[in-house]
Amino acid sequence: MEVRELTKKYDGKTVVDSVSFTIPKGKVISLIGPNGAGKSTVMGIISRLIARDSGLVAFEGQDISKWKSKELSKRLAILTQTNNIQMKLTVRELVTFGRFPYSGGHNTPEDEEIISRAIEYMELQEFEDRFIDELSGGQRQRAMIAMVIAQDTEHVLLDEPTNNLDIYHATNMMKIVRRLCDELGKTVILVLHEINYAAFYSDYICAFKDGRIAHFGPVKEVMTKEVLGDIYNVDFEIMEISGKPLSIYY
Amino acid sequence: MRTPAYRANVRKLVIMAAIVLASAAAYMLVEVNFSSSKLMNYALSLRAPKLIVMLITAFAIGGASIVFQSIINNTIVTPCLLGMNSLYTLIHTAVVFVAGTGSVIAVNANLAFAVDVAIMGIAATVIYSYFFKKTNHNVLYVLLIGTVLTSLFSSIQTTLTRVMDPNEYDTLLNSLVASFSNVNSEIIVLSLVLLAAIIFVLRRELALLDVLTLGKEQAISLGVDYDKCIRKLLLGVTLCIAVATAMVGPISFLGLIIANLSRQLLKTYRHSLLILGSAFFGMIVLVIGQLIVEHVYSYAVPVSVFITVGGGIYFLYLLLTEKKV
Repeated sequence: MEVRELTKKYDGKTVVDSVSFTIPKGKVISLIGPNGAGKSTVMGIISRLIARDSGLVAFEGQDISKWKSKELSKRLAILTQTNNIQMKLTVRELVTFGRFPYSGGHNTPEDEEIISRAIEYMELQEFEDRFIDELSGGQRQRAMIAMVIAQDTEHVLLDEPTNNLDIYHATNMMKIVRRLCDELGKTVILVLHEINYAAFYSDYICAFKDGRIAHFGPVKEVMTKEVLGDIYNVDFEIMEISGKPLSIYY
Repeated sequence: MRTPAYRANVRKLVIMAAIVLASAAAYMLVEVNFSSSKLMNYALSLRAPKLIVMLITAFAIGGASIVFQSIINNTIVTPCLLGMNSLYTLIHTAVVFVAGTGSVIAVNANLAFAVDVAIMGIAATVIYSYFFKKTNHNVLYVLLIGTVLTSLFSSIQTTLTRVMDPNEYDTLLNSLVASFSNVNSEIIVLSLVLLAAIIFVLRRELALLDVLTLGKEQAISLGVDYDKCIRKLLLGVTLCIAVATAMVGPISFLGLIIANLSRQLLKTYRHSLLILGSAFFGMIVLVIGQLIVEHVYSYAVPVSVFITVGGGIYFLYLLLTEKKV
């Protein structure tokens, strides 16, 4: 996936200013940056939730606006934090929706098997027939991920997946992200607020500042005193724990 | 997937269908004089069109309400918010005001129906298709526009009635209450054709309803062309309500009751079941309501009075018990 010269303005104010980068396949890429830096907007444009003003998002050589919605949904899954599902849905029914791009609502035995495997993968078997609104936040998150797994896409876009989760669930979430990449070979692109989650669990970091990319590269290149200090305007110390750079800020 | 819950729901719907049939039979046959075939035929020929109109209305309002609530993603909205009721009232008042109660449009039911459907159809297309695009597909703006238009239409209507001849107003009042009596067979056929056309045009979007309730982001992720789909459905809902309203009068408040009864009974996300349930509830309420109106109250109270009173109380109940509003 390639992003070229992406620009977006809100009421004359440029929030994304000719952003270009190429997303490597089969890696975890985190978008970080201070509030209002444009990372979520870029994410929204990549996931076709927000219309862009100019620029190009090329996916497998073709602009995303030229893709058929249905075909794109077999290759690109989106998960945002605004899931307030009003319906009475069981976990299995929710995961079943992941097969919608393929089956159009009429599942084959093969679809059912993929759904069962996705539920097993997220260890949700015992909750299979429970209603979504009866689950805890962490379990609901896992159910949503199971749906994404059932959707069986090569790319997964997650918008602030650790938002509103406590340390335990947030860390679990990041471990799941890692497994999606390592075990299932997916390319995962996520927006994160916690720099250290980005540093510990991703392969690449794309750091935004003032609507532009301040730095894009492998974790070790971005996680330096100078780069982070420049992006956030805060003093940083970088430490190495388990071979990964972690930051301390104060 | 045929889960036990799904089978239980199908069973509930079969029972409801049986109740619909029973109440329809009761409506047709209560107090019919079977000894004389002439009298019997006369009674049946009076009742059959009314029964058919009630069934069509229940289906149109019930289905449209479920779809409307799912589009807005809120189960306590009523399609009344679309302003079709007050537009209907305004059209009829304006006709009487300008042309008088004796005019062709006021007297000829077919013509009145055609005028209603045409004006409401055009208004619906303009308001709910054009403005929806204009406001960047924000459903809440559309609701706001509907609410504002409702007050606008009502204000104009009130002004007209103030300066109207009292006798004319008296006659007018009758046509402003929902009634199943003055619908002839041509209107029935035309309504059926219109509703069938709406459903046929929207068949693809209707199949997407289940996915739409996951919310905008998830629907897009699953490959739904969200904005276009919502726009088409919203237009379809408005037209359905317009047809039903043109046929019997302002009755769309009924939708709130039957859609929620259906959701409470079936507890499912499957719209095929919800819509059927809602339509069945509508049929039961209307047919039994009309039965009581005709045989207990001998036409003294129109059925819409019961719907409004019962619906109002039910609405309050929903507001008080619904936690996630």
